[in-house]
Amino acid sequence: MTNHLSPPTPTGDVRPAPAGDHGAASEARTRRAALPDLALLPPVLLVFGLGLWALALPGIDFRTMDDFGLLDRLPAAFYASLLVLTAGFLVALRRAGTSPGWPLAYCVALIVALKAAPAVLYDSVRYPWASKHDAVVDAVLAAGELRPNAGLSGNMSAYEQWPGFFTLNAALVRAFGVESTAVYLNWAPIVLGLIALPLLVLIYRTFAEDWRLVWTAVWIFQLANWVGQDYLAPQGLAYLLHLTVLAVVLRHFVRPGSAGRLRDRAYLDPAATAVPPPTGVRQRAICVLILSPVIFAINAVHQLTPVMLCAALFVLALTRRYRNYGLLVVAGLLMLTWNLTMGRPLFLETLGTLRQSLGELTENSRAGYAGQLTGPGPELAGRASIAMALAVVVLAGIAVLWRRRLTRSALPLLLVSVAPVPLFVVNDYGGEMLFRVYLFGLPGAAFFAAAALVPATAGTHRSRASVARRRTAAVALPVALLALTAGFLPAYYGKEAMYYTPPAETELVTRAIDRLPDGGLLLATSGSFPQALHRYDHVEHWFFAEQELPENERMLADPARYLADGIPPGVTAHVVLTRTQDVYTAGEGLLPPGGFETLRSRLKASPLFRTVEERPYGIVLAYTPAPKGAPASTGGAP
Amino acid sequence: MNTTRNRIRGVVAVSGWLALAASLLPGGSPLRWLPVLLFVCLGPGLALLHPQPSGLRPGARLEAFALAAPISLSLASLTATLLFLVEGFSVTAFLVPLAAFTTAVALLPGLPLPAATRGAVEPEGTASFRFRKRGPGDGR
Repeated sequence: MTNHLSPPTPTGDVRPAPAGDHGAASEARTRRAALPDLALLPPVLLVFGLGLWALALPGIDFRTMDDFGLLDRLPAAFYASLLVLTAGFLVALRRAGTSPGWPLAYCVALIVALKAAPAVLYDSVRYPWASKHDAVVDAVLAAGELRPNAGLSGNMSAYEQWPGFFTLNAALVRAFGVESTAVYLNWAPIVLGLIALPLLVLIYRTFAEDWRLVWTAVWIFQLANWVGQDYLAPQGLAYLLHLTVLAVVLRHFVRPGSAGRLRDRAYLDPAATAVPPPTGVRQRAICVLILSPVIFAINAVHQLTPVMLCAALFVLALTRRYRNYGLLVVAGLLMLTWNLTMGRPLFLETLGTLRQSLGELTENSRAGYAGQLTGPGPELAGRASIAMALAVVVLAGIAVLWRRRLTRSALPLLLVSVAPVPLFVVNDYGGEMLFRVYLFGLPGAAFFAAAALVPATAGTHRSRASVARRRTAAVALPVALLALTAGFLPAYYGKEAMYYTPPAETELVTRAIDRLPDGGLLLATSGSFPQALHRYDHVEHWFFAEQELPENERMLADPARYLADGIPPGVTAHVVLTRTQDVYTAGEGLLPPGGFETLRSRLKASPLFRTVEERPYGIVLAYTPAPKGAPASTGGAP
Repeated sequence: MNTTRNRIRGVVAVSGWLALAASLLPGGSPLRWLPVLLFVCLGPGLALLHPQPSGLRPGARLEAFALAAPISLSLASLTATLLFLVEGFSVTAFLVPLAAFTTAVALLPGLPLPAATRGAVEPEGTASFRFRKRGPGDGR
């Protein structure tokens, strides 16, 4: 822990002055006296920043989102609030060693400012995928049991093969006495962010004694976490549990006699922490016992995270410091046990397709389902995402090369962050592997990116080089934080038009699905709209445009015939086409420009489909197969 | 053990029963969901990590605070999954075992995580690493 008896240096780092170095100490005191008293600034800027944010909220016109998602709907006060919070954080960072409370308050404020606006404002569920998870919770509650072997369409049974997150939410829904998770799910990013915050501090504190480095890394993590995996989803919870296991392992699984020079302050980077105290076999065995329920819960919650965890524990076991085969074996056995029992159907299916996807590096690392992002907002979001990822990785790379001693002591953090990268070779995980690998690499990447921006303060000795480094950092740190903030907004909110659906449109979808009998078939272009999976255990689904663009162009030539050919005989089938599907299929490049309108008008004109309900935001069509011998006009292209 | 520590221990010990009582209030009321949320997210974890024989040192305090939520949510998730597997889920069946567990472990000494106790490797001939004197650099 920080030595509270030592005076803070002007940069906020706390370090004992060398004994007998009175000249340097008095010089430091003079410099400190020359600085204006900034103690009042952190609270003032925090209140001002949050006040601006709150003032900006009523001005966010999310209902009229267009090409740029939420970006051009955010008022100037919203952007100003982020500027003020960044400035306040930088001021608070100067005294981070003695008052870690202010950087903490700013990090909490940043989570709120970046991600809480939709939770406060939206009158419906944000993210179609969150709605899918809401449907799973509803289904679990309605059934009152788990059906991992039900073989539901669209692989929906997989959710009940890894049900931990859904059963937890089912329990919360009943215990809260609310109708469904839709009541609270928009708050998930805030809750998950708040739970992750102390875990990140714990991990970073294991490797850095300098609080400025710790808080900057936490700040960069929040900004770089644009990847949108922190909604109401199993991976959000599993990620927290993964960080928990890593935190305990990194702090409590150091083998005796493995630290070498890494406890020698003369050798260590000035910002680094000495290797944590070693633990005996008995202590480590107790820690394995403590971690077992957490590792077990990771397996119950999500299928991919245990693989990431085992990869991380494996690379740690390669180091002399953390060679703990026992923990690796326990994690591996728990994963295998779950995969061979509850998760058996999907596990065997995945094994069957592994041979096909193994080694398809370019294919496995593609982002998204198919097609190219189309339209100003999605294209900007795509470019910002890539720029953000590159910026963090480049900054981290600079620190890894420039601060070799810090890299040496924090090597385990670097290793666990690169451990998931080889998974590209194995599987594309529905086009999401790129995002997942980025997310699991982010804790280490953010730490080293912060190390590139926060130079070490080596006592009171000041060489010309260290003064130059400090001056560069004084400019580089604010510039980098503002650039990352500027990147976060398009990456996170650029595609927001796909994520907000007005309640009336969702009600149309719910009515359409409720009209279908058990065993009926719902057709839609994609599954990315709220309530798409409503009653998924009673209704079959065909999301017919979730395929490559050329195949969709063929479909558009005569959509009615294309769909009629795919509908099994004797099945009641309804097509639901909504505005959100239009935005999604255009933005993700599944359909060509104007394709959705063509689809809608041709299906509506076809005698094979009858209009059940039509609104400005959507249409429901029922399939009415032509009687045998009737003319075969389908309303296709002339 | 001082009064404040005992008071925290007492609050943690009864938190599950308070949440159970709150679940009888009208659905959706903050007086209902807030205690339930706090208990499910923090109760069991704090009960496991917090009560140490001689209090938590600063480094261990951060650790207990950071690990309380993930450990609590792990236990809650496993409990709920087990209940659905045996087709025995109800709010009472979910909250009672968690509340009972929280009360029981809150009355026992906290989990002996090395940072919460005294850190370094157990010296030769020491029976337990739990009650060693505090030393500089411990608890990171």
